[in-house]
Amino acid sequence: MKIKIIIASIVIVAAIVFGAVSFVETNVEYTDFKAAAGTHKKVQVKGEWMKDQEATFDPRTTQFIFFMKDEQGRVEKVVFDGAKPNNFEIANAVVVKGRYEEGYFHANEILTKCPSKYEADAESVKKTL
Amino acid sequence: MGSWIVRFAFVAVIVSGASYYLAFRKKEFSHLQIARYAYSLTSLAVISFCALLLSYILTHQFQYTYVWNYSSTDLPTPLLVSTFYAGQEGSFSLWALYTTIIGMILMQYSSKRGYEPEVMFVWSMILGFLLLMLIVKNPFELIWDTFPGDLLRTGAVPAGVTNFMWIDQAKGIWGQFPVEGKGLNPLLQNYWMVIHPQILFTGFSSMAVPYTFAVAGLLRKDYQSWVRVAKPWLVFGAAVLGTGIILGGYWAYETLGWGGYWGWDPVENSSLIPWLVSIAAIHTIMSQRRSGTFVKTNFSLCILCFIMVLYSTFLTRSGVLGETSVHSFVDAGMWAYWLLLGVIFFFGLFGFGLLIRRSKEMPKIPVEHSIYSREFALFIGAFLVCFAALFITIGTSSPIITNILKGKASSIDTSFYVKTTLPIGIAVALLTGLGQLLWWKNSNAKELFRSMTYPLISAVIFTGGLVFFVERDVAIILFSFASAFALFVNIMVGYRIFKGNPKFAGGAIAHIGLAFLFLGFVASARYDDKQTVSLEQGKPTEIPGGYSLTYEGNHQIDNERYGFNVEVRHGNEVYTVMPVMRYSNFTQSLMRHPDILNMYTRDFYVSPLSVETPDENAQVTMSLGKGESKELGGRTVTFVDFDFNDVEKGNMITGGEVTIGVNLVVTEKGQKHEVKPLFKRGSGGPTYVPAVLPGTGVQFTIVKMEPNREDPSKSRVEIGVTDPAGMAGKPKNETLIVEASIKPYINLVWMGTVTLVVGFIITIVRRVQEARDRPGSAPAAEV
Repeated sequence: MKIKIIIASIVIVAAIVFGAVSFVETNVEYTDFKAAAGTHKKVQVKGEWMKDQEATFDPRTTQFIFFMKDEQGRVEKVVFDGAKPNNFEIANAVVVKGRYEEGYFHANEILTKCPSKYEADAESVKKTL
Repeated sequence: MGSWIVRFAFVAVIVSGASYYLAFRKKEFSHLQIARYAYSLTSLAVISFCALLLSYILTHQFQYTYVWNYSSTDLPTPLLVSTFYAGQEGSFSLWALYTTIIGMILMQYSSKRGYEPEVMFVWSMILGFLLLMLIVKNPFELIWDTFPGDLLRTGAVPAGVTNFMWIDQAKGIWGQFPVEGKGLNPLLQNYWMVIHPQILFTGFSSMAVPYTFAVAGLLRKDYQSWVRVAKPWLVFGAAVLGTGIILGGYWAYETLGWGGYWGWDPVENSSLIPWLVSIAAIHTIMSQRRSGTFVKTNFSLCILCFIMVLYSTFLTRSGVLGETSVHSFVDAGMWAYWLLLGVIFFFGLFGFGLLIRRSKEMPKIPVEHSIYSREFALFIGAFLVCFAALFITIGTSSPIITNILKGKASSIDTSFYVKTTLPIGIAVALLTGLGQLLWWKNSNAKELFRSMTYPLISAVIFTGGLVFFVERDVAIILFSFASAFALFVNIMVGYRIFKGNPKFAGGAIAHIGLAFLFLGFVASARYDDKQTVSLEQGKPTEIPGGYSLTYEGNHQIDNERYGFNVEVRHGNEVYTVMPVMRYSNFTQSLMRHPDILNMYTRDFYVSPLSVETPDENAQVTMSLGKGESKELGGRTVTFVDFDFNDVEKGNMITGGEVTIGVNLVVTEKGQKHEVKPLFKRGSGGPTYVPAVLPGTGVQFTIVKMEPNREDPSKSRVEIGVTDPAGMAGKPKNETLIVEASIKPYINLVWMGTVTLVVGFIITIVRRVQEARDRPGSAPAAEV
């Protein structure tokens, strides 16, 4: 009986510690570009992409390059490993996840946020009258 | 009218619940009769309003906001039917419908076993909550109530307008409605939409049954027999929910184009969590059946299973994860948020509160099993599975947690899930093997090790081969070894059981399925060989793995979709795949659909990224100050200075030919090229001589020069760049860029699922028979 309790306790404690450490390690914080530039950790930055600047896909390196302004107003070049994400054109906000590298933000994930459902809906209702 | 039926159903189910409660307390048949009658009325009402909503959809009644929002006249009938559950109001209706139907079966089932009042009392409350949600989020809302500013009008109806309805003819108030619906998101327009949500919702609805039996058992102080009656439902729920989850994964794999079947997204995770809890419960109930232990655990797990279903609904529908997941169906509004939260607390407190109250009266069962017992193995295994569920819950809820702890929401990287569940997976796989070899209560250690020999050796050989050929990562090696061990043990044990009594082989078969699943995960994800290839039309391109791809051309499929034909050669075999790209007006964006070559030992997966059609006449103008650099197509162009050497020589004054040059430097990754377009003024007039960037067809031509004599650093120049695509090294012909990957042994994943479900079905058959053979001998509840 005693052994079982000891085994079970060890397993529980190990699991909790392991879980907590992993949680903290893999935490991807929301920051702005300024803070991102000051750290080597993977972070996520929310902002909007600059429609008046270059947004092209380079097939040689298979990277999608565009410019983004974060919530503090700072503009950075973003290099994303992949093709232009599906909803990019109509996105009014994007979240990029990655690391800041020499002079640009290297993103390995982009989340696109589309216009609020109800805004878009009011417009579409009128169109289908 | 529809919303009145919903309210009627709500009232009827309250009456039913109250009557069942009275029937439980007072044991008078009259209460039971009223309760049954009320529940039948509820069922009738729920079926009616669902049928009504469906009829509105099928007849395109766009004056109803829900119908307008999700359907349109151009959808084929099966998809049109599936728009029923495309949005929140509809999916809650579907959930209510399945809950109602299951309730009707449950009524018969529980009545035959003497549990009806308690079970149906709880069931009525659950159905009541769903109907309450439907009152708050009304599927029958009229469109001019949603958009009053645009659609609610007063006064005379203009001539020619027929799409309107009078709201109050006396006061001249009328509402206009659209003649076409918004339509269904193209991502949802395939046959999976008809199947997957239905299976998932059946699974969710049936996960409420074990909860009901657990609470029923607590109410009437029956701590042992309820598990026998609840077990078949638990296994059924796990089988259906598990199938639904994998189908969702297959849908993503086949349709979405990111190359995987599981993304650890909140929606996926939140259906996995209750499933894991149900699996743990299945195993601990086995222990209770055998030796009466784990009484409180089983109550807790069955209650928790349903609570996690509610929590998952909360996470995905309330919008609380809105910022951090592209998947979250943000829309709910504050009402739904608080209501869902309240419901979780209500059912949680009810269940656990009752458990705590009763636990003081529960008889203590002495624990007699040793370490070498099946009970202990089941305990550790179930415990670990619950821990996995906990980790996934914490990871998925991390935006909420970090918001509370740090004041700022952040999410976690998906590597968290793999890091935490992989060790658990290893342990669980080992136990899945060990558990089958251990006896109940106690095993002889020597005998145990002897029975392990063959499977152990086979697993070592298998893993050795793996290590030798491909694998170096310790965790993966252990995981493969544990899964192989589980596989061989269960094949060995399963065969023996099957020869004895096939009905008892469900567990072994299910475990074999699980082992296949695990091995499939390792193979297809770990050795997934993914690469991005540029395919110039007509030019065969080799990729590692012995595949040669040739882009043949594209053709239009319909007014939004384009198919891109790619010929794939592998050895002597020739196939054609056709990934599709679609520009959708609905989402105003590009959608990509892959094509998959499904072969026995692997899948060849091709997903389109983009297509480049060269535009040779394209020209871009760059304006540069002296010393300034700008980027174009991945390279940097720097204006160094003007070359006025010719001018200095005084040719300009004499009218002879003058050449002025512009020194440019084009840099790419440290490599520099000097490019010097020229301007010549001679007897024939000015000529601009372009300079070509070596290695490409890109030409630089002077457009305008603005030298500044007083301050040369302020000089500017405008340069025209033709064929800027060439700057990025893009080739001349139309080029398709794809992501090609080989997914080895992914069929193990699908095969594993099928085997798992077969195992479940066999178990259900056996347990239903058992539950039938000994009708509920539960003691009469004391008040």
